[in-house]
Amino acid sequence: MLSSRTSGAAVPNRLSPPLRSAALLLLVACDAKVQPEPPVALRGDAPTVAPAAPALRRLTQPQYAATVTHLFGDGMVLPSSLEPDTAIDGLVAVGAAATSISPVGVEQYEEAAYTLAEQVLADPDRTAAVVGCAPATEGCLRTFVTTFGRRAWRRSLTTDEVDRVVAVGESASATVGAPDAGVLYAMALLLQSPAFLYRDELGEVDPDAADGARRYTSVEMATRLSFLLWNGPPDDTLLDAAEAGALVTDAGLGTEVDRMLADDRSRDGVRAFFTEMLELADLDTLNKDPTLFTHMSPEVGPSAREETLLGIEAIVFGEEDWRSFYTTRRTFLDPVLASLYDVRSPTREGFAEATLPDDGLRAGFLGQASFLALQAHPTSSSATLRGAFLRDVLLCQAIPAPPADVDTSIPEADATSPTLRQRIETHLSDPTCAGCHQLTDPIGLGLENFDGLGTTRLTENGGTIDASGDLDGADFGGPVALGAALAEHPRIGPCLTETLYRYATARTVTDGESDLVDWHAAGFEEAGFHVKALLTDIATSPGFRRVGALDTEEAR
Amino acid sequence: MSWRTRFHLQGRPVGRRTLLRGLLGGAVVTVGLPPLEAFLDLTRAAGATCGGVIPRRFGLFFWGNGNRPEQWLPVGEGETWELSEELAPLAGVKDKITIVSGMSVKTGNFTPHTSGVAGLLTGAAEILSGGSMTFARASIDQHIAGIIGTDTIYSSLQTTASGATGLSHNGPNSRNPPESSPYALFERVFGAGFRLPGEEGVVDPSLGLRRSVLDAVMTDVATLKARVGRADALRLEQHLDGVRELEQRLARLQEDPADLEACALPDEPLPDYPDLDGRPQLSARSRAMCDLLAMTLACDQTRVFGHWFSDPVSDLLYDGATAGHHSLTHNEGGDQPEVNDIAVQVMEEFAYLVEKLASIPEAEGTLLDNCVVLATSEVSEGRTHSVNDMPIVLAGGACGALRTGYHYRSYTQENVSKVMLTVVRAMDIPDATYGEGDGEVSDGLSEIEA
Repeated sequence: MLSSRTSGAAVPNRLSPPLRSAALLLLVACDAKVQPEPPVALRGDAPTVAPAAPALRRLTQPQYAATVTHLFGDGMVLPSSLEPDTAIDGLVAVGAAATSISPVGVEQYEEAAYTLAEQVLADPDRTAAVVGCAPATEGCLRTFVTTFGRRAWRRSLTTDEVDRVVAVGESASATVGAPDAGVLYAMALLLQSPAFLYRDELGEVDPDAADGARRYTSVEMATRLSFLLWNGPPDDTLLDAAEAGALVTDAGLGTEVDRMLADDRSRDGVRAFFTEMLELADLDTLNKDPTLFTHMSPEVGPSAREETLLGIEAIVFGEEDWRSFYTTRRTFLDPVLASLYDVRSPTREGFAEATLPDDGLRAGFLGQASFLALQAHPTSSSATLRGAFLRDVLLCQAIPAPPADVDTSIPEADATSPTLRQRIETHLSDPTCAGCHQLTDPIGLGLENFDGLGTTRLTENGGTIDASGDLDGADFGGPVALGAALAEHPRIGPCLTETLYRYATARTVTDGESDLVDWHAAGFEEAGFHVKALLTDIATSPGFRRVGALDTEEAR
Repeated sequence: MSWRTRFHLQGRPVGRRTLLRGLLGGAVVTVGLPPLEAFLDLTRAAGATCGGVIPRRFGLFFWGNGNRPEQWLPVGEGETWELSEELAPLAGVKDKITIVSGMSVKTGNFTPHTSGVAGLLTGAAEILSGGSMTFARASIDQHIAGIIGTDTIYSSLQTTASGATGLSHNGPNSRNPPESSPYALFERVFGAGFRLPGEEGVVDPSLGLRRSVLDAVMTDVATLKARVGRADALRLEQHLDGVRELEQRLARLQEDPADLEACALPDEPLPDYPDLDGRPQLSARSRAMCDLLAMTLACDQTRVFGHWFSDPVSDLLYDGATAGHHSLTHNEGGDQPEVNDIAVQVMEEFAYLVEKLASIPEAEGTLLDNCVVLATSEVSEGRTHSVNDMPIVLAGGACGALRTGYHYRSYTQENVSKVMLTVVRAMDIPDATYGEGDGEVSDGLSEIEA
């Protein structure tokens, strides 16, 4: 909810970003020793789960956009703003299952609906493709509402629903005296209905279970799958399979998951997940002082995001070990980033694969500007922000909120303490600070060879930077070794598993599910840390297919 | 290419003015509507008006990261006081404002910035769940808007000068995002459908059709609401409120506007306020927003606004600053001259808003006289995150309900909810209490009530 940045779209709601921002602080109540967890044994059958109650999920802005492309094709223009997404616990997916649509949002969705409908009807080719019949012909409106409605609402409409939408369209057609108006207002209604704006996955009693356990219906599974794997709506094949009941069977579900992961749209899905997890949407509003950072330009943030996402795609769809994300010298650069990284650009425009120098300071995600610039201040780096991000996001080790009433000044640089390590020594020597700062600062200081934008440096204010340290017992001498230590950290696999599980289920892991999440983590490791295998495992997980009863306590 | 680049960077937004005309342009008919009914409309919420005709208005001007308390505190008290260094920009309106100092947030200060803003704006402790925080109750602007905002085109308008997230809340996880583009606000309020007093009405059949669509949407929302769990039912109720408000707005667009002398079409703002040398044009954007907000009040388009100059924890780069605002509050040494300078810059922008409201004549006085604008922040001293001695300025007398030209100093760290209760009552809302738990009060601050 509170963000130190001025993000237009994704609004971080969890405490972490502002608290990491506010976290140049004395932290208390931390156990400074983080015990690496023991490796998980080879897994057996999936543990039983106590599923949580369902929650309506709002379409996020990217999902709305993907839906528009699905329904109308490329090249549609949306209004400048839609209800913003709000991250909760670091994920927009979780926020979309908890936040409400505001009055302004209602207004924006209305405007969007008419904007889209107008564009369709202004273009004869698009009208033919979307409407499928000439609006003036008998029965066209009903055909349109039935077929377009199914694609828009991601399920078949009931006869009653079709009748109601058709009635609104017919009335508009008569008032305006033009059959096009019937289509326009029917479309506008379909695009403002809660069946469009929310995913109403409420579940049903599983007829095959003896104990009245509930599951998501086959049709609900279609939207769960498509938004998880594609971050967009189901295609006709998936809807057909869903309405034939295939997605409540193991075989039918497996077939569709395999098909969907082989489809190019799964790249959108993977990008969406990592964009949320790594907070990459914030790169649109990167806030850096260009007088201090001469490489700063409006292109740096978006370029840095693209570098990270292309690298992730290469690992995930090349079926490589996920942990190489933290160690690889292979990356993807455009001229903007090549200049920032002081390497030769592999291309004159766009992005191309590049190999960073073997003896350089930069390797893996910890050497990427998307992380280094975002987890820093407008005019300086921040060991605490970077260290806290590693703990919180990459290792799923929550750092407690810093106390409120403390003086948090960091001394200014002078001849005796030119480097950040020296200036924030208090964090580690004062026992009230050290508890938590020992978790964040020593690893963040391992990245001090990168300034607040991500440019390399060996000295700061004339003092040589010491980037050595240890990560939970693994010594490192600098950023590349820190990345290698992180890749080997026993929490890396379990944390990605837990984050993806939360993303898929749009909520925090419940007490009844932690064994299941551990089980998925074991599977991820057994699969050689292949993310596609993890996606398949979670998409077919009992935790993803089962649902609890509606929470109807207290009167509505 | 990302979804954002695909969809959001394709030139100017399509305004509603340009919509629908393609199909319906030929159907526009000019008809005069009876003005009297609409005029009476203005007086319908009798309790919320002063002098029987002029409405009372509430505004919130919020900035992040507090101030430098020593340089903020005025010298002197009561009616005899002098503006401090940070309040100096308000010199031109000193007799129209009241400073309240020494008040405390009583709902706890567990997490920096967030505890303070929740306690301040809602009178209740924040809700912490997992790693996230939200408000437990509606923020003060929405509490007021729920009562005095029901008769206007917009129940409230939320704006920002900085791309702030804003913290106007209808309830938990129900935030009202502010408009960050002056041009978009202009289009929204003064674009298609807006009429000046006395301007002939046009019968636009699209309004009726849009209303019938919204009626059908409301039916759909209500149907879904009956099928879902408790938490979702609350979310859908809020959705329903939004649809209902939009539907009523379209109905009101068909009524004649009230005869408000000062209502005029504002100048069209610039389409964009790009950063200059990496620094946001905070002043220019804030002033453009405030010009528009003043006219939305003068034209009675809304009676409640929130202007989120910046967010809590904002790390914006201000003119002349060597680091982001939040970073400076923690890292600047000594008496923090840069932090102090930013506080002055913020008050210059608040002064602009107050002077703008004071420049618009209304009834026997000015628009400002019939408003109260509360300027405040989530902490007092940013460096320590203190929620004692909160910065509070009240501008305008709320139709004579509030004293002005006054400095009230509390020496007992009184509950800041007292100020909120006084403000609520100044809107002629007869609430018995404000806040809950440790934040609850049943007495206002009688010293600042007229």
